[in-house]
Amino acid sequence: MRSKQTAIGAALAALAVLCALFAASASAAPAWKFETKSLEGTEVILGGAYESALTVPGLTTKCENFLYKLTIENSAGTGKGSLTEMPLYNCTTNSSACTVSKISAEKLPYASHLATFGTTNYIVIEGVKVPILYAGEECVLGGTLVTVTGSAGGSIDNTAETATFNSSTLAASKTELKAIGQKIEWSGLFPTEAFQWHREQALSVS
Amino acid sequence: MQKHRTRVVCTALVAVALAALGLAGTAQAKLTGNYTRFSQCPYANLEVIKCLYSVTESGEVVLGNKKVPIEKAVTLQGGYGSVGEDEFSKFFAASNGITLAKVPQNVPGGLLGIVPEASSPALVKALIKFFLENSLTGVNATLELAKTASDIRVSENNLAAEEGAALELPVKVHLENPFLGKNCFVGSSSSPLLWKLTTGTTKPPAPNSPITGSVGAAKFLEEGRILETKGAKFVDNAWSAPGPSGCGGILSFLVTPIISAQLGTTTAGHNTAILVNTLSVGSAAAVRKNNSENP
Repeated sequence: MRSKQTAIGAALAALAVLCALFAASASAAPAWKFETKSLEGTEVILGGAYESALTVPGLTTKCENFLYKLTIENSAGTGKGSLTEMPLYNCTTNSSACTVSKISAEKLPYASHLATFGTTNYIVIEGVKVPILYAGEECVLGGTLVTVTGSAGGSIDNTAETATFNSSTLAASKTELKAIGQKIEWSGLFPTEAFQWHREQALSVS
Repeated sequence: MQKHRTRVVCTALVAVALAALGLAGTAQAKLTGNYTRFSQCPYANLEVIKCLYSVTESGEVVLGNKKVPIEKAVTLQGGYGSVGEDEFSKFFAASNGITLAKVPQNVPGGLLGIVPEASSPALVKALIKFFLENSLTGVNATLELAKTASDIRVSENNLAAEEGAALELPVKVHLENPFLGKNCFVGSSSSPLLWKLTTGTTKPPAPNSPITGSVGAAKFLEEGRILETKGAKFVDNAWSAPGPSGCGGILSFLVTPIISAQLGTTTAGHNTAILVNTLSVGSAAAVRKNNSENP
């Protein structure tokens, strides 16, 4: 009799643990927080990439100045955003034959949202469209418009207050950027710092 | 005096021979490494901005009821100029004149596949029997340019964007078999099969449905001077074809209608071209430089 009670107790305990686990994953939608408090209203994150490079096998394009302006808010408990500006300057390639004659983000704003994959929080930027016009007499892409399209997910580091984009974060967030029919690599490290109502406050995602 | 004159003539001949060798050396400058594929690009013409070398390794051409798989590689090569207002570049013929190589492809079913014995008139039936008995039953279909190379059009922006026509190719199909004679064609210079090949998705009329091509796996060579894509899939299934003509030699009036009936409807929506290529595009300036560096 006692053994039956023990078995039922164990089963209930296991069920409770499972329920707790499911509850944790169900409430996984991450939100923007300042000093651990959920963001109310909107805030603007403004900054420049510490480094950023875009690679199609054999040709890498780097932009020295990769600025961005992201308006963020929490909507129904989930962090959202709108990338309203993304000027790109001083872009070069790793090829002695190719230069970047023109590059600009089109079809702004790009919608974004926070999401959790595994145990990591990501910011996912959607609807990216960046045409690049290459130049150079000896460059095979000289005069050709190469358009980067797709979506990109970057992992959020709450301690460093940065978002990192690379092939691993794009794969983990099930996003991809394409150009010339290819899945391309994009690496970038972006600071996440508020510039409006929450200046100098620690921004985190959880 | 005689000896001196002979010596002068000999010296002059040797000088001419050496000069000729020198000129030949210049004319036969060789491209090296990754650039060798562009040896037939008319890169000496300064209007040529890019060199193109494309080898179709597989695919198929469906003409009405008949499907011909591409089993033997077909090369398209030449160069193209700057982009016009219509987004297309003018094409320049290959230096050796072989812009589109004439490579015969086997037609499945052979002669009986396009001229069925049973439904043919007695004279045709007798001739077919002769060819069958002599094992002359194989039929080849060879793709040929229907117009000049300058009528080919290239849009590298459409190619890169995977939308719209990337390559417009006016072609005709030469059906070859001793029974069919030498002039059995589908398409002609005045009425070509105009393939508007895309790496994107087609919008064909019914009964065909949209099919999708792709740029394939691209990589840059020579620090961005050459782009090579493997498995580039160019497709078009919205083209129309006229009926066959000139088939059967002097019996053309009997044979051509039979082949036409066998092909069935060849209006737009009933035909398909799928070409799977390894495509190389190079900067003509880079090719010229490679050439000048290797006299």
